[in-house]
Amino acid sequence: MLILTVVFSFLLRVSVPNFPAWLLIGLLVWRFFAIGTSQGLTSLIEEPSLVTKVNLPRYLIVLSSNTANLLGASLEFVTLLPLLFLLGVNLTPYVLVLPVILLTEFLLVFGVSLLLSSLTVSYRDFNELWTLALQLGFFLSPIVYDSSLIPSRYLYLYSINPITRLIESTRAIFLQHQLPSQFDFSIVISSVLLLLLVGGVVFRSLEGRFAEQL
Amino acid sequence: MYAIVVDDIWKRFRIPHEKRTTILDHLAGALSVLEGERYSYEEFWALKGINFRLGNGESLGIIGPNGSGKSTLLKLIAGVMKADKGKMEINGSLASILELGIGFHNDLTVKENALVYGVLMGLRRSEAKKRIDSIISFADLARFQDARFKNLSSGMQVRLAFSIAIETRAEIFLVDEALSVGDIEFQEKCLDRFRELKKEGKSIALVSHRIDLIKAFCEKALYLQNGELKSFGPSEDVVSRYLEDVRHPKPSVNVATGV
Repeated sequence: MLILTVVFSFLLRVSVPNFPAWLLIGLLVWRFFAIGTSQGLTSLIEEPSLVTKVNLPRYLIVLSSNTANLLGASLEFVTLLPLLFLLGVNLTPYVLVLPVILLTEFLLVFGVSLLLSSLTVSYRDFNELWTLALQLGFFLSPIVYDSSLIPSRYLYLYSINPITRLIESTRAIFLQHQLPSQFDFSIVISSVLLLLLVGGVVFRSLEGRFAEQL
Repeated sequence: MYAIVVDDIWKRFRIPHEKRTTILDHLAGALSVLEGERYSYEEFWALKGINFRLGNGESLGIIGPNGSGKSTLLKLIAGVMKADKGKMEINGSLASILELGIGFHNDLTVKENALVYGVLMGLRRSEAKKRIDSIISFADLARFQDARFKNLSSGMQVRLAFSIAIETRAEIFLVDEALSVGDIEFQEKCLDRFRELKKEGKSIALVSHRIDLIKAFCEKALYLQNGELKSFGPSEDVVSRYLEDVRHPKPSVNVATGV
């Protein structure tokens, strides 16, 4: 965090008011997604005996990995509050929207994890591919720079990234003291529903062969 | 009323000649198909048309040489794998002891692990809490209930797993080779508990190589060889047929093994 602050606020001169707080929020939202999905991805292949030796609804294995991650992320956000206070941010009742944001992000992580974990059972290099995709995603989301830097003709495409919307929503409640915009809300909800649907369908159709492949 | 009905069950495994576990492998494989190479695999029928019925309160011993499909059959009944053909009916709640000690965590205490494992075996959290004392006393681990799991001897670990599985109060028990663990005293205790369960009308299917145990404990037995059902019926008859086959192998077997 310190390194990123120094690099981006002093060397690259990102002009955002209260850059450390702004950066911290973006990083935490990103970490929740990145760590959650990469742990979710390996949840099935790490515990093969839970799949091959116990008759357990398999999605529970993914869900438990995601839930553990939700707890970790929630703790990170709890420690964020005093830090933000120290950084001079006024904490308003809008903070109470945070659990809702975390919950929707959790559902997003769950949808992605369902998809990735079931595919990883047959294609083990999804793990490496996802690490790569996450690195790309880090720079495709407004974590270390402001989305105003994006040329306007790409802005539309850039803006429909649900992670971008989640980051902007979280910054809105903490820094701008306002509710997430309707645009944020509709993009996030529709991508959550889409990913849960796709993830669920793929998981269900592959689940019958898990026991043989692990 | 039957506890388990297995109707013409077939299970096939594919053993690819070339293992493909990554996207890269699959891409390379797709290219080689273009060049005229075939994606080939060995087909292996682990179970070929198995039929049997097990009544309520009956116990079944599954015997046969290694690789004859015993564990596969148990896994299909447990619902861990799906059969390729055939129908199966399970009437009642199921506790499957296919492997002991799944989901145990080294850094949790014995008590905590018992809770986790109980829930994994299908108990509700509240039920698991209620039974925890009887689980631990059955496993003879009362003194060690707050010890960390990793500090138990491996025999103790297995005893704990077995005690939890038995305490799940299911109606049908599937047991795979699990009885051979623990010291003799514990084995006797398990058998006693199984006899009690039988008296309560629970059904038990167990895979074991201990012929004497099957003869003494199970009224029915099922003899598998190369995925085929060789014989099913009263355990005395089935066991003697199995022993016969082992002692006097048929000529066809001799040719196959080249002995």
